[in-house]
Amino acid sequence: MMGRTIVIDPGRCIGCQACVSACRECDSHRGKSMIHLDYLDQGASVASSPTVCMHCEDPVAPCAQVCPAEAILVTPDGVVHDADKSRCIGCGNCVSACPMGVPKIDLEAKLQFKCNLCYDRTSYGLAPMCATVCPTGSIFYGTLEELRTERPGVEVASTFDFDGSIISTGVAMVVPRGRPVDEPLPGGAGEHARVTGSPQPAGHLEPSADNVLGDPL
Amino acid sequence: MRPVLVGIVTALVLSAAIFLGSRGLHNFDSALAPYAIASVFLAFGIAYRYTVWISSPGARRLFRKGWGAALSWQNLRRTPTALPRMIATYLGFQKFLGARSRARWAAHQLIFWGCLLAAAITFPLTWGWFTFTANTGAGPQYTMNIWGFPVVGFNALSVLGWLLFHGLDIAAVLVIAGATYFLIRRMRDREASTGQRFGYDLVPLLALIIISVTGLLLTFSSVALHGGGYEFLAVLHMAAVVLTLLYLPFGKFFHIAQRPAAVGMQLFKYTEHGEIRRCRNCGEPIDTTAYVDNLRATMRDLKLDFDAMAEVCPRCKRLRRGQAYRTTVKPGF
Ligand code: HEM
Ligand code: SF4
Ligand code: SF4
Repeated sequence: MMGRTIVIDPGRCIGCQACVSACRECDSHRGKSMIHLDYLDQGASVASSPTVCMHCEDPVAPCAQVCPAEAILVTPDGVVHDADKSRCIGCGNCVSACPMGVPKIDLEAKLQFKCNLCYDRTSYGLAPMCATVCPTGSIFYGTLEELRTERPGVEVASTFDFDGSIISTGVAMVVPRGRPVDEPLPGGAGEHARVTGSPQPAGHLEPSADNVLGDPL
Repeated sequence: MRPVLVGIVTALVLSAAIFLGSRGLHNFDSALAPYAIASVFLAFGIAYRYTVWISSPGARRLFRKGWGAALSWQNLRRTPTALPRMIATYLGFQKFLGARSRARWAAHQLIFWGCLLAAAITFPLTWGWFTFTANTGAGPQYTMNIWGFPVVGFNALSVLGWLLFHGLDIAAVLVIAGATYFLIRRMRDREASTGQRFGYDLVPLLALIIISVTGLLLTFSSVALHGGGYEFLAVLHMAAVVLTLLYLPFGKFFHIAQRPAAVGMQLFKYTEHGEIRRCRNCGEPIDTTAYVDNLRATMRDLKLDFDAMAEVCPRCKRLRRGQAYRTTVKPGF
């Protein structure tokens, strides 16, 4: 887990899409929202869950490791950046290798986009767009101490279990008090999630960009 | 060790080609020697860097598959136009850049064609491959020779002659326009300036501008100043070019060598089998079967043991994880 980072609490998310709109304002991917908001079990529940890049630490950034073009830079502060515009060849390795379902590809521009922790803001000490606008604190930005002054005694976890592979991440999730702290969060490998309608009506890339097929060059 | 060896062999091959092409250095212009020597180091640097690059699992697998697809007879028979079309639209005209912004496409085209033109003129000249001989004492009839063989005769005062002698000035104007646009964008636009690094992002643009401006000043000096300051400018220009050639393999310019991989990637992805792998959860297409299998093999090379996740689409990965959190971590939130 990074020092100052995002902490997500899906339990607080009301699915309002403020983060989706705010993300679209980020200067490094203007007009395109990188945050994913998914409605879980839509129709039977109002639960929703925002996903930003988790900035994987160990193994470090699988997306960057599989990139054949050395396009994804990981800076010493632990931030996994969006693809270098002169290098990315739009191959889609990062999209399919990311266990969290984060990167997107603009197939026309042959370019990957992903959450870069609002580097234009966080590198100047500002909070990311999504955390700034989230009305419920579902997306929090700061240190663990800062989180605990707001929410005394809150526990967080930053490891995930994908069918036996453990990934520790720079971004953390809130877990209920009393849960063993070092127990990894489930990656959902065995789940049969019900596919919900259209989770992101606004500000989303074309539906075809969620996968990496398009017209040949 | 291997990258160094590949680099040395490449540099030796280029040196031999320079020796032979200049007829045993007979046509070699010793005033241009620093450029020629820098180009030999450039050959070493590119080969070295390229070998380092393709020894990482992701690049190595794609390198093999890409060349396999490009050189396959079957592909050639099935889609004979695929390769030449991609080379033209992707590598030459970079159509995809237009989807980022028209201005970026235009500026990059200016840099690209300018540098291509300049390289096509200067490299053969510095290697002693092109020579010009006057048919009569002082012209204006000249013959252009390649590797010592006469190829075309032309009049220095004709349009063709003017173009031949001023090609580098034209190239400089194109490059200055393109590089200045990118430089301004890097100062004004936070899309470009976020996380930008001086050595990686700004040096290439400054190098292009310095080379082009000093090059133009050389022409200006000989046309308008009767050669005033020519010696000094020539040294400055040469230093800028030599340093840039040495830097080329290790910074942003390396994308020139890296980019053709996109053509191999697309050939492999689309012409090989055409079978589509679908999300195990929702059935949406993910990528071609050959491509997903290649990625899973890359992930296993890297000891990323969750490679089976590559067969679930991004949305279902998130839905599954969210659902697992909802059922087992914080039940029924
Ligand atoms: C003589 C050859 C080339 C030169 C000198 C050159 C030079 C440059 C430079 C200086 C930049 C940086 C622009 C910036 O500051 O943002 C750049 C960007 C780029 N180049 Fe090239 N390039 C060459 C060939 C190519 C080729 C063949 C391709 C691919 C088909 C290519 C693809 C790109 C891409 C995708 C970018 C990022 C542009 C953006 O998104 O704004 N380049 N190039
Ligand atoms: S969450 Fe995905 S995109 Fe983010 S660092 Fe990890 S692998 Fe890369
Ligand atoms: S899409 Fe771009 S960033 Fe992603 S793996 Fe391919 S080249 Fe790398």
